[in-house]
Formats: sequence, C-alpha cells, structure tokens
Amino acid sequence: MQNKLSFHQSSVNLEIIGLPDYSNNEYKDEISIISHWKLTIIDKPLIEGKVEHLVPIMDAFYIYSNLLIKNEIPLYESKLIDIKAENLNIHNIVLKSSKPNVKPLTLKIGNSLLSDTINCFDQLNESSKVRVKTTDFSNNISNKIKFGFNNRAKFSNLILTPFIAICSLILFSCTFIYLFNPIEDNQKNELIKAK
Amino acid sequence: MNSRTITFLNKENKVSRQSIEKLDLLLLILETIDLNGIQSHYALSNKLNLNDFLPNKVTIWKLRNNNPLRKSYVNNNIKLGEFDALIKITVEMSRYLYPYIREILQSKEDVEKNSVIWNDFNKRFIELINERFNTDSMRVKRLLNQTENDEIVIKYLLTLSLCISNKGFQKLKQFLFDF
Repeated sequence: MQNKLSFHQSSVNLEIIGLPDYSNNEYKDEISIISHWKLTIIDKPLIEGKVEHLVPIMDAFYIYSNLLIKNEIPLYESKLIDIKAENLNIHNIVLKSSKPNVKPLTLKIGNSLLSDTINCFDQLNESSKVRVKTTDFSNNISNKIKFGFNNRAKFSNLILTPFIAICSLILFSCTFIYLFNPIEDNQKNELIKAK
Repeated sequence: MNSRTITFLNKENKVSRQSIEKLDLLLLILETIDLNGIQSHYALSNKLNLNDFLPNKVTIWKLRNNNPLRKSYVNNNIKLGEFDALIKITVEMSRYLYPYIREILQSKEDVEKNSVIWNDFNKRFIELINERFNTDSMRVKRLLNQTENDEIVIKYLLTLSLCISNKGFQKLKQFLFDF
C-alpha cells in the first residue's frame, strides 16, 4: 500500500504517491521513494509523471517566475518543458513527453494559476513528510547571483579605483603641460640672449 | 551567507533606496487591497513580536518615508533590522490577502469578462499614489498612468503572491536586494 500526500493551493492540487524508506528509519506516513505524482490544475489537462520529471518541472517553474519578477526575458526551455510568456498575464507551457510518438501538451495559464502552482511546489519543498531530492533551486540561484554580484563588486573595486587614479593623474599632468612648456621657455630665453 | 552578503552590500548597515522603494510599493499594494492597511500593519507587528523595531504606527510611517518617491521623503537611514521587520509584515500580510491578490491577478487575465475588480483596484492604487507620492517625479507619473502602470503593478502583485510560503521572507528579501 503506497502513501499519498496532497498539497493544495486554490485551483491547483499536487499529489505525491510513494513509499517511505524503512532502511533509513523513516515513519510509515513519510514518502521518500516517489513512484509518481499528479498535478491537477482546474480546467486544464492532468499532468503526471515519474520522480525524474518532477524536479526539472519544479525548477522550470521557479526559474521562470524569477525571470518574470526580475524584469528579465521570461523564457525557459529544456528537453522536458518550455515556458514562455504570451503577454503580461498569460504563460504558455509546453510539456514534452519522454515517450516516442506522443505529442507535446500545450497549456495556457494565467498569473493566478502560476502562483498557485509555485505555492504547491513550495509546500512540497517545505513538507517534512516528503523528501524530494531537489536541486534546491532557490538556494543555488541565490548563491550564484550573490556570487555574481560579489564578483562584480570586487571587479569594480579592482578596476574602478586605479582607473579613476590614472584619469586624475592624466588630467593633473595635462594642466601642467599647458601652464609650463620647457621647450617654448628655452626658445624664449635664446631669443632674449640673441637680442 | 545571507547576512554576510547584505553586510557587504551595506557597509554601514544601511539599505539601498531602490530596496526601500520596492518594499514601500509592495506595502502600498497591500494597503490598496486592505482598506484598513495601516492598522493591519501595526497589528501584525504586534503579532510577530516586532515591537522592538516597530513600536507604533508612527515608526512604521517614518520608516516608509525613506522611500524617495514619497512626498514626505526623509532620509532616516533605515537599518537592516527595521527593514527586515517591514519585510516580515509584508510576507505575513500577503499570506492573509492571498485570495484577494489572486483574484485581482485573475481579473486582469480576462478583462473582458471581469474587469470590475482590476479597475477598482487600480483606481484605489492611483488614489493612494496621488495622496502620498511626489507627483512631480517622472517615475511617479508613470505609476499614475493607468496604461503604463499595468506591468509594474502585475509584477508586484505576482511577487507578493509568490512569497506566502514559510520561506517567503528569504524570497522577498532576495527580490528586494535584487540578488
């Protein structure tokens, strides 16, 4: 008998079906060996798959939503799923089956369903009863971006300060070039001596 | 890791203007939905035991006045602890108001069928902007333009709707500091 756990948010329901790993001293009601999962979005076709599909789909939604709110081009493409913004309010999702001769499933969802779906994934990530070997997208991304930012900051510190110093030195030197020209001065002296 | 990075960003424990601007706009959107928003902010600060940072409504108002877009803008150098407290209130309030936020987003998806909710929301949002923000600023003018503010408002509503989980505080902080 398999365990079934549901995560619900408004119009979206995520169902996880699987077994606990008794060898890891887990309780009866826990799930860490996921056999399959179902994502039900009201008025949309049922999405289901195996555990190896769950993590890439979750990551796709997280990455896409991040792009969306950070004013970057909202486009995510992978072997399994494509998400693209049709306009500000509608998003096109293309789910590609790993089985041959199965046409991709296209869904159109609005911002409300997008946030419901991501909130369901958040509930799954935060659940103590289900252990999904996620790539921990949010942490990875934030670390990558933080790393990028730090690098940028260090880079600017490294380059900007000497650059400003060199520029000011050039400017400072330029003023003396105009104020005092030793060659011109020598010529004047020679002229005076000649007179 | 988080605190280290933020300290790096703000050597004197200060928060950038952009972050304050974003947070104040998010709070303003929540106030647009909750007519008694100011009272709700204060009630939530009590509930979340944030009295050390936000002892009264005036303090919340003063902190929000660090937003350079405000009419009554004062640079009080908001501290990280105070900023975090405001983020916690925003996240908690988004949790309570999620059904409404969702409804507003949904009403915009199909404006032909259901435009009343969006129009009411946008009207009140513009009223609040007119009341509190410096309308001479070009950025504020863009917020006041009903056709131009759609993108900003939808993105901010979406941000609020994505920050209702237990990790909502970290998520919102990442968004505000633009990590």
